Amino acid sequence: MTYKTDEIWEDKWVNTTCGVCYCGCAAKVRVVNGVPVKVEGIKDSTMGGDGSGLCGKGTAGLMYYHDPNRIKKPLLRTNPEKGIGVDPKWKEIEWDEALEIIATKMKKIMEDDPNKILFTNQTMRASDGPHNHPYFYAQAFGVKNNGNFIIGGGSLHCGNACHMLGGLIHGAWSIAPDWRYTKYVLKWGSSKGTGSGHSAMTNARLRADAIRRGIKEVVFDPMGNFAGGKATEWVAILPGTDTAVGLAIANYIANIRGEMDILYLKAKTNFPYLIKDDGTYIRHEESDKPLIFDSREAKIKEYDDPTLAWEDCALDGEYEYNGERVRPCFVPFKEHLKQYTIEWASEISTVPVATILKVCKEWVDNAQIGSTITLEGKTYPYRPVSSVTFRGSQGHSNGIHQVAAIDLMSQLVGAEDVPGGTLGWPAIRRAYPGGNYEQTCKAGKDGVIVPSVFYSHDPWPVHAPSLPATNMGCVDIWTHCTLSHIPYVDEIDYIHEKFGMKSKPEMIFGIAANFVISNSDWDTAIKNFKDCFVVQMDLWVNETDQAIGDIILPDVSYLEKDCWSSEIDAFFFSGSPSHEDWYVHMQQPVAKPIGESRFFMDVYIDVANRCGVLDKFNAKLNDYYGVTDPELTIKPGEVLTWKEIGERFLKWVYGKDTEKIKEQGYATWNKPIEDVYWRWDIDTRCPVYMEYLLHDRKRMEEIFEQTGFDLEFDMDQYSALPSWFWPESHKDLDSEFDLIAFSYRDILHTNNTTFQNPYIDEVSKMCPYTFTITLNSSLAKEKGMKDGDVIWIETKAGVKENGIVKTMEAQSPKVIGIAGQGGLWADGRPIAKGKGSNFCKLLPSKLKYFDPVAGNMETAVAVKIYKD
Amino acid sequence: MSNKIHELEQIMFPPDGSGLKPYEWMVNPTRQRQWIDDKGLFLWLAFFFSEIGAGLYFVSLFYAYKLGLILGWLITLVLGGVIHVLYLGNPLRAWRMIMKPNTSELSRGIWIIGVFAALGLLQIVTSGGFNMVFSTIMGILCLLIISHGFATMNVIRALPAWSSTMVLPLSLISGVWIGHQILQFMVSVSGSAALASGMEVWAEVFFFAYFLCIVLYVWGTWHSNEIGKESIKMQLRGDLLKISFIGIGLLAITVPLILALIMWGGDTNSFLIFLRLACVIAGDLALRYVIMKSAVYKPLI
Amino acid sequence: MPRWGMVIDVKRCIACWGCAIACKEEHFLPPGVFFNRVLIGETGKFPTSSKIIYPILCNHCSDAACVEACPTGATYVREDGIVAVDDEKCVGCRACLVSCPYQQRTYYDQKVKDREYFPGQGKTEMELIGEKLYPFKVGTVIKCNFCSERLEDGMKKGLTPGKDEDASPACVNICPVNARIFGDLDDPDSEINRLIMEKKGKQLRKEFGTEPAVYYID
Repeated sequence: MTYKTDEIWEDKWVNTTCGVCYCGCAAKVRVVNGVPVKVEGIKDSTMGGDGSGLCGKGTAGLMYYHDPNRIKKPLLRTNPEKGIGVDPKWKEIEWDEALEIIATKMKKIMEDDPNKILFTNQTMRASDGPHNHPYFYAQAFGVKNNGNFIIGGGSLHCGNACHMLGGLIHGAWSIAPDWRYTKYVLKWGSSKGTGSGHSAMTNARLRADAIRRGIKEVVFDPMGNFAGGKATEWVAILPGTDTAVGLAIANYIANIRGEMDILYLKAKTNFPYLIKDDGTYIRHEESDKPLIFDSREAKIKEYDDPTLAWEDCALDGEYEYNGERVRPCFVPFKEHLKQYTIEWASEISTVPVATILKVCKEWVDNAQIGSTITLEGKTYPYRPVSSVTFRGSQGHSNGIHQVAAIDLMSQLVGAEDVPGGTLGWPAIRRAYPGGNYEQTCKAGKDGVIVPSVFYSHDPWPVHAPSLPATNMGCVDIWTHCTLSHIPYVDEIDYIHEKFGMKSKPEMIFGIAANFVISNSDWDTAIKNFKDCFVVQMDLWVNETDQAIGDIILPDVSYLEKDCWSSEIDAFFFSGSPSHEDWYVHMQQPVAKPIGESRFFMDVYIDVANRCGVLDKFNAKLNDYYGVTDPELTIKPGEVLTWKEIGERFLKWVYGKDTEKIKEQGYATWNKPIEDVYWRWDIDTRCPVYMEYLLHDRKRMEEIFEQTGFDLEFDMDQYSALPSWFWPESHKDLDSEFDLIAFSYRDILHTNNTTFQNPYIDEVSKMCPYTFTITLNSSLAKEKGMKDGDVIWIETKAGVKENGIVKTMEAQSPKVIGIAGQGGLWADGRPIAKGKGSNFCKLLPSKLKYFDPVAGNMETAVAVKIYKD
Repeated sequence: MSNKIHELEQIMFPPDGSGLKPYEWMVNPTRQRQWIDDKGLFLWLAFFFSEIGAGLYFVSLFYAYKLGLILGWLITLVLGGVIHVLYLGNPLRAWRMIMKPNTSELSRGIWIIGVFAALGLLQIVTSGGFNMVFSTIMGILCLLIISHGFATMNVIRALPAWSSTMVLPLSLISGVWIGHQILQFMVSVSGSAALASGMEVWAEVFFFAYFLCIVLYVWGTWHSNEIGKESIKMQLRGDLLKISFIGIGLLAITVPLILALIMWGGDTNSFLIFLRLACVIAGDLALRYVIMKSAVYKPLI
Repeated sequence: MPRWGMVIDVKRCIACWGCAIACKEEHFLPPGVFFNRVLIGETGKFPTSSKIIYPILCNHCSDAACVEACPTGATYVREDGIVAVDDEKCVGCRACLVSCPYQQRTYYDQKVKDREYFPGQGKTEMELIGEKLYPFKVGTVIKCNFCSERLEDGMKKGLTPGKDEDASPACVNICPVNARIFGDLDDPDSEINRLIMEKKGKQLRKEFGTEPAVYYID
């Protein structure tokens, strides 16, 4: 077989960053005669550890370049009518014309109220460009706060509650088990290490090593597929009921077994903080700091009083302060847990009593409370148990309590950011040796950690709910939404009216978002956004573009992109959460842009320039990267391309090694062990007792009262104590709508973009569950259904979706599963068209289906199913 | 199995003729397709023609019927051989198939056919070719050719339905039976009514042997192993069910049985012989089709 | 002379299909052709059922059914144990294809060659370059070759298959969880032999007596 021919004049490898999902794995691309033909991992980058691989969808990423359906010139809608099934009658126009239309429109809106412009992003493209920049891009136009909803949430069910508590507890966006030293992992509706989540393949490699080492991994999940199918033990659970099991385990640890890491609770949580009978902290008159009872000196002190030793922080007892009875909040907390028995949890979750009990025992046994481990000459508490969750279990109207309960068992045994326990992605980012850009977290109000960088809405300190709302997401009132979903809510007009949000959305400036089909009920999304002037930068004309887009600008794929910044600020979810060196990869173009496509950052700059706000944006960039070297900052009046900005900023970030790093396409440098296991080195306390919610509740109730706001909104969830609340989907169950539909991430897919990739499409067909609707086999039998049957799923709201049945054993018999965002119909993506079923459209978009605290959607829904 | 394919299925899992969804491949019993689907039909025909040709040649030896020899030789080589070569991806390289007679059944077959072609031609052109030794050699060659197709299939361990012990006897008898029928018909239309009538005894013998072999094949395959059972089930399901019933049940067995009873004891007539010949040819094609179509691989997991 | 073999750690594998797609890119395989696949199934009954994931590829059997069936000698076991097809000798009879118990061979005909990844939209630049870089002959049978070109080129540079990326099969390199280990079965000290011994490596469908060079551990 001839392997090489004379016609080959170029055959090289280019290092870059994978852009197929938000993980940003190291990738190198083989380019032959200017054509990218193969993707592999980069062995020398730390990211790969001993391996260097990419997952299937990353490997398949080449097709983004080769897809003949890519748009090559800006498109303008000529049919003023919008909606699903309406031909937009696209007309190709020149870039200059398109940008002039956009800039003119934006300037006009800005004169009136810049908050009427929505800036959106989609996570599929997150590592596919600078993650955080749309936020301050929006600010350059005068958009207030970062309540601009859809950034990041531009079409997916983001992990609001996870991010909120990840931020409050770990100073991080997300959490993972310390695979290197753990012995026992509980996963709740998450697939960390088995395919999805942040740093997916880094975690997968670390997990594979851990599994080989012999750890036990128990997965609570409605289905035994990606996570459960690989677990040591899969436990079927009903969606949204993880709280019940979590609380029962906490009750077992605290009250039945009574083995806890007491020193940890005293030193690293707010459990010793003294509270009044109404549940709120007592505070020092002057400093306003919460107080703790010093049991050695029998005296009440500020929590950070230097004379207060950790071991002396009282966790029990009853004291008097200014004539009022006060108690450490741990007292009622522990008491509160007593109601959550294992039998009770079993009834709610369908997990057998014996299984819960076994997990309880294994958890405490493996926690090795009191043990230590010495690593690199430093001794740490050793707690080799980890309990992690992500999008799945938190995606419910009780999401905040789900996450709090799942975290609680780790808190009680002190397994947070210590070897073997649960780690946040690094809360601290050290600068590259000889370079700049260092981000460190700090202790904020009440001793709670303040993350160094956090996208969107900062978790701490919490601002008080206030009127009027000044942004689309109304985060002024809804203070704990990392990403607000309010703009998708059916009652948006009512909500905006009540909360005094004056700015009605008039324009969307989006990056490949597909929120019409990938959030919730399609009709509501169209209703809410069709009157906007919708501009998107996209690779194809997707469903949102086709239904409501006005101008579609051709974007480059990651293979054509020169993006020096792709991961620099994403350290808190794109690196390794483990004790492994730092790695940051750059996106280097491996091929020329397709057609007239342009990188969205350059389009951003061009539009900002036309709108007269480029200096503001540039100043924000200087500020964001902390560039102070006058030779490297962007000066007023300068119009630089993104690449030119990179030439300066990379020198700032990497110093004298810049050229070397540019050449190899990535940087790796030492991550000190103390930055991984920082829990006992950084003086912060986890707000496990969610006292702040009590204040928020009071203020919100006042606002509701004042405005006459009367939509159904479960204020009881504003409870300081993690508690059980039925998720809305369960409340809708009855004899007709008797099943809960849930969705999950398939390892092959990132939202819906991957559906258009023919490599992925081909292997998706070879997977039994990817394009099908899964039913437990006995449930299928009961319903008279079998493999291959075409069925309809219908919700109480009358929304219907159809699909092909695949029966499986490893699924709870009370649920049906759909892998994400199929059921696509855009003409611009023929490979994707018609594949799989769309889960999102089934989700009701009424306010009551949202977590009243963290703002995430109820991503399960009561349905009935019947044959076509 | 419904023939109507739902639009959704057409989009998500367009049927590829395997009867499986792509995710069922080698997870469920998976049918062999190369030697029967699409261009694979050539192989089915090629095996059939070379074998009945050899059958005709074989039977003609006993009756020293030269026309039968010629026709048999032609069917085997021209119909069987040419269709065989057409099936190949690279027909011009067909000569290479003689390279591995030590391991490859196919290669052995080519050798045998080559020898058969040469010696057969010699026998046909030499007067008095029906010398005892010559005829014995040719007889053996014929039997080897008759069993060649099924022997090739028989050695494939991966397909238990073909490695059933009853496959070889079935193939031998089918070749001889059909060869005999062709000869009987040739004899009856060329005016030797007495000879044709005399041949009827053998027709009855061969028919019952053939019938017995089919029954034994089904019984043996069913009881060989799980995968063999799967093959038999497949023969009695979906599209194959029709072919099994009409082709094998009716044309290969029932009608020839009735005709044999009518002509019992030698009461033959050309039309009935022709009718029976047509039936058994169609029936045997159906039998071979069903056997080739229903061979399944054992799932890998 | 080494005898190349592979160990696939089923416990590590997460069914991401990286191997299957990397292989398609390495060999420029047209739609529908796979030298590497992942079989996904289930055993047991709810609630104690479990998912089975088996990445499969040519087993490079030392007593290969395909080699036995090949009438021309086009399919043969190389000295290094790799089962290869000489496309100059292959007549396209598919006896190998039918006889492989693992169904790891593909008949490459004009219909397969003409397939497009974007049906009806013409071949992409990648597909066209692939036809030049890695041409297959119409009318022959194609299969996994353990990336023998990579192995040979790598060894010429003094690299070690299984250790160095440039001398190892594409599916081994791409695996993000290191579930594939490549090496010399004739070297008693090789990592794959150690794993086969320690973890009791199993060959797939051993009962066919083909002596596969691919072992599975879990």
